Amino acid sequence: MSATRLEFATSEATEFIDLTDRIRERVMQAGLRTGRVHLQSLHTTVGLCVNENEPLLHRDFEAMLERIAPIGAGYEHDDFTRRFDIAVDEPVNGHAHCRQLLLSAFLTLLVEEGQLVLGRWQSVFAVELDGPRHRELALQVEGEFARPLSREVPESLVEVELTRQLMVDPEPVAVPMRRLVEAGGKRLRPKLVQLTAGIGPRNDPLRAAELAAAVELLHNATLIHDDYVDESTHRRGRPTVAAAEGPERAIAVGDYYFAKATRLIAEMGNPAVTSALAEALEAICASQIDDVALRGAYPGDRESYLRVVRGKTASLFAAACASGALLSEASPDVVGALRRYGDLLGTAFQMADDMVDFSPSSGKPVGLDIRQRVLSLPLIYAAEDRQVGPEVRRLLEGALGDAEVGRVTELVTASGALPRVRQEADALIDAAVRELEAVQLDGLRPTLVGLARSAVDRNS
Amino acid sequence: MSVQLLDRELDRLEGLWSDGLADAYRDYLDAVQHFEPDLQAKLALAAALIELGIRLQGLGGRAAPPTTLLMGDLCLARGSRILADNAPLAVQVAFARAVESMSTAAASEQPAPPARNLLRLSLGAEG
Repeated sequence: MSATRLEFATSEATEFIDLTDRIRERVMQAGLRTGRVHLQSLHTTVGLCVNENEPLLHRDFEAMLERIAPIGAGYEHDDFTRRFDIAVDEPVNGHAHCRQLLLSAFLTLLVEEGQLVLGRWQSVFAVELDGPRHRELALQVEGEFARPLSREVPESLVEVELTRQLMVDPEPVAVPMRRLVEAGGKRLRPKLVQLTAGIGPRNDPLRAAELAAAVELLHNATLIHDDYVDESTHRRGRPTVAAAEGPERAIAVGDYYFAKATRLIAEMGNPAVTSALAEALEAICASQIDDVALRGAYPGDRESYLRVVRGKTASLFAAACASGALLSEASPDVVGALRRYGDLLGTAFQMADDMVDFSPSSGKPVGLDIRQRVLSLPLIYAAEDRQVGPEVRRLLEGALGDAEVGRVTELVTASGALPRVRQEADALIDAAVRELEAVQLDGLRPTLVGLARSAVDRNS
Repeated sequence: MSVQLLDRELDRLEGLWSDGLADAYRDYLDAVQHFEPDLQAKLALAAALIELGIRLQGLGGRAAPPTTLLMGDLCLARGSRILADNAPLAVQVAFARAVESMSTAAASEQPAPPARNLLRLSLGAEG
């Protein structure tokens, strides 16, 4: 059993609100395969019905309600002189209550094979009888569920697994990695592994958490080397390994966890998973070389940017999605769709991350990417802009002190580059979501869609 | 090893062939004779890439400059991918453990056994 509320706002005095798609979404989210959806109006002037979504028919219904219970037809309910405890905003709505009597306050819909059982022309409506108002329905689903009701991934399992792995490692490598892991991070990659590992027939949350933790260690290993290459002093609010303990230690710690993560993945005994992640790691390393090479022509162009981002960021998102699905023995078309979803999501994620560099409210220092000459799509667009481009390019050619970084940030913000990047990231997320439409994901689609949207909906 | 395989696996690393990679590869060929013929060249190349990667990074010594480190990373990643695609599980695990032990020694500022010895032993690992 799952119980939730369905909220909506109405804009007319009498209005038919089609809730069919929202109810379908709730059924999918709950993972209900066979059972019932119960709806109950929480208002005395909102009814429920199943009928056809045809605007002229709705006008017929409204006319019928008006004929049977006309507005202002001398309802005793509207005679406030004879009533007690009347609210100051009590509406004159005797007609609406009477009309509600003609409808129902309750509905039960059947669900079979995860789908609402509705006829070709049937839609589910809430009928506003005294709007406009904010309204609420109670919704319960009961029956047989394909999976546990909640599709929330057990993130704590990954944290436990990370802690467990770091406990057994030698201190000289474990201490710096523990500092990085404990500093947090979004854990998007392990989350993708865990989610997609629930799709196929072999759904084992513990194995999924082991793989997810290994992927997070692999990601962190690449970050440790990146920070040395980028001369970054801080990550996640703490000193980088290279800054705190020197480049020699950073190289050793990165190598250790690169090797350890590779081993943990191999020991899972699924060659397709091992290959998927090994390919991603190779793509990351190759793109990192391209990234550094492109800094000679900073800020570069969109094509080069996309090539680097797809290798450096998107490849691990794609491999995380594919490897989770492969671990659960999902079908090849599902694995392929999830891989493409991850690739698009990873690229969009990086674009959103670029935008954070220009947001004073993000909590990160503004202009850090510019200062470190990190590839950034907003900067590329601003540099190509007819008005601000020449000044941006001139500033980037020289030394980048506080004043120059501040000015470049102003120019990028004024150029319209940020909304353009945002639009592009949104389009990639739309494409990622479309990849999920053609395959059977057993109720996981809404979670993956939500994760994709939230990944780019950042403080930018 | 076929020219096509070499071309593909040395993409972006061509310059390293004459910079120690070829010698290491030839040496490892001796250690892969117990594998199927079509795997021998791949596994010898994987071992050579990993050894060279570690050397380029400066693991256990002075840290390499960033661009050289990245080349070393790519060597390690490619060697690892070749192993993932071709080596038995026991060999993959042995290679990973070899790199773990060399990294631990480096992080502890302790001497590590020569990489080639460790990696040759890894090629002999049995499940």
